[in-house]
Amino acid sequence: MKIKLLVVISFILSSVAFAKNNITEDKSSVNIEVNGKKYTIERIQGNDVYLTNEFSLTSRPSPPFFIQPFKVTKDVETYGELEVIEFLEKGKGVFIDARLESWYKNSYIAGAVNIPFKKFLKDTKERDKILKGFGAVKKGKKWDFTKAKTILFYCNGSWCVQSPTAIHALKDIGYPQKKMKYYRGGIQSWQLVGLTVINPKEEKKR
Amino acid sequence: MKLFITMAILVTSIFAGKYGKVKITEKISHVLVFHKGKSINIHRIQDVKNHLTGAYAKISQPCPGRCIQPIDMKNGVETVGEVEVISFIKNKVNDHKGALIDARPQSMYNKETIPSAINIPFMLGDNKEAMSDILEVLGMEKMPKGKWNNSKALEIMVYCNGPWCQKSSKLINSLVKMGYPANKIYYYRGGFQMWKSLGLTTVKTK
Repeated sequence: MKIKLLVVISFILSSVAFAKNNITEDKSSVNIEVNGKKYTIERIQGNDVYLTNEFSLTSRPSPPFFIQPFKVTKDVETYGELEVIEFLEKGKGVFIDARLESWYKNSYIAGAVNIPFKKFLKDTKERDKILKGFGAVKKGKKWDFTKAKTILFYCNGSWCVQSPTAIHALKDIGYPQKKMKYYRGGIQSWQLVGLTVINPKEEKKR
Repeated sequence: MKLFITMAILVTSIFAGKYGKVKITEKISHVLVFHKGKSINIHRIQDVKNHLTGAYAKISQPCPGRCIQPIDMKNGVETVGEVEVISFIKNKVNDHKGALIDARPQSMYNKETIPSAINIPFMLGDNKEAMSDILEVLGMEKMPKGKWNNSKALEIMVYCNGPWCQKSSKLINSLVKMGYPANKIYYYRGGFQMWKSLGLTTVKTK
């Protein structure tokens, strides 16, 4: 009898102590591997954690910062956090941080590679190389995107125009809209729902 | 009448300067709306050093309970962002063609909400009598044998606490189940947290 009671009490205690901040009801964390690097995506644990870094700033000056529409174009799908996580988990394509390098060096979402939006704007050899990396094939001056990978973009937040700019530039050269996705919430919403970001500076210190 | 128009233009241009530092979109710096009979301007906080603080800056959310929601309800209900919410208020709510619905409990609505929103707490979704009255308020017409004519149903936009809040989808599911046309419902998934994270105007009743 005493043992039973003890078991019940310890069970209650443990469930209180380990009250989880899961991603979804049945998913507490997701392990992914991108370019040979392993990451764990999870939500911040604890009871009273608040966002206090620069991503808690509400009012960025305009121009250049305006709130972006929900969709970039009619056929480019907008993603939320769960769709980003599924994209990474299932390896559906390339996850691109479209911000300038200085931002990426500060913090980024696990699994993202940094290709600043400016690299998509002009017809350069560097852009050719990037597009070939996505699986596009150059035929004369035109591109064949039949075998091109699906690419998912994000930048700083719903007030950031960098990823929409990259998407528009690629659409203009024929990248299929169905093969481009837009995580509008960006690294700001990612943190506001408690998902963890990678901080390269801290990683180096380890 | 002429005087009124002149006044309105004058007032508008004064506000344009007042809210021009941090605009909503390139073209919109503020929108005049009505909340419980009083006129109020929706704009963004102009202090570029302002941080989101308080309950909506909290990023540790227990799940089960506050789990991250999918971007698409997959039932024909369209998901929208702030730009669409503001244009909905301007073009539909102001013209009595649409209703912005806060699905959170009344206590939260009373404390602080989006200007022009009405409150339909999600818990009412289980209360058939209450829902029947609500449907009538929203323009649904009661027909014999418990059926509804939905041809004059208002367009509605529903939000709750944030991307991790299930209250909107619960209320939307109840409405759809009772015959409310899904193509007249919009889901503002970012909710009150994202609204506040962009420094957009709120009304505090108490």
